[in-house]
Amino acid sequence: MKVEYVTPFVNASASVIQTLIGISPERGKLSARPQMFTSQQVNIVCGITGEIEGQVIYGMSMMTAKNMASKMLGGQEVKEFDQLAASAIAELGNMISGGSSNQLFQSGFKTDITPPTIVKGPNISMTNFDIPTLVIPLNVAGVGEFEIAVSLRQRKVVAA
Amino acid sequence: MAKRILITDDALFMRVTLKNILSSNGYEVVGEAENGAQAVKMYSELKPDLVTMDITMPEMDGLEALKQIRAADANAKVVMCTAMGQKNMVVEAIQSGAKDFIVKPFQPDRVLEAVGKLLAA
Repeated sequence: MKVEYVTPFVNASASVIQTLIGISPERGKLSARPQMFTSQQVNIVCGITGEIEGQVIYGMSMMTAKNMASKMLGGQEVKEFDQLAASAIAELGNMISGGSSNQLFQSGFKTDITPPTIVKGPNISMTNFDIPTLVIPLNVAGVGEFEIAVSLRQRKVVAA
Repeated sequence: MAKRILITDDALFMRVTLKNILSSNGYEVVGEAENGAQAVKMYSELKPDLVTMDITMPEMDGLEALKQIRAADANAKVVMCTAMGQKNMVVEAIQSGAKDFIVKPFQPDRVLEAVGKLLAA
């Protein structure tokens, strides 16, 4: 997995979160996992298709998800992680994936994104293409920790 | 009379956000479609003055819905409102008849400016 595929996600997450809730996230240290795995309580799974393909999972604790949804809903208190809160979090993933896809396009890779899916519950492993996963932790002040797990590869061209 | 708007987005959060922005600024949100197929159907039933259209949606995406709505009504005013801001998407949407292209996340003023300009009498 190339680090150049991760940079767009780091940049897009910073600009999307800044625009949505006015807080600039602080980036932690990049780490690698041998496969796509998340131990987070709330996970937004986004598929990337096209010249680069794979999956991106935005993972966070339930507390972070509620705090984030609350900020996205203009400060409205989020007691239960209901349909509206889940939708806000899913849309956050969608916007970061969309922004990243735009940046990948500028780097010469045409990609599309699939609608986000929310998966709740920790210890989820995904078997897709045996691509190693790169994980970027982000700390959003007053909201919580947030991690982006990126597992992408360049599409193999199949000879006719 | 308030101008009538149809919102199209698969995300409840986005529909609520857009509805709040539009309703609190004097527009009437007459319908909320959750995918492109619903938007096409609701457009013909409701005949709104303007449609906001997401692109990445299940069942039928926003570009296909835009084309079908414009095929049925050449004067339809459709504003794309999507996280996918790549140049090829923008070009395809504008060539297919979209009147504006808003990239999410957006500030409320960006939506109001686009809608206001298109619906000015």
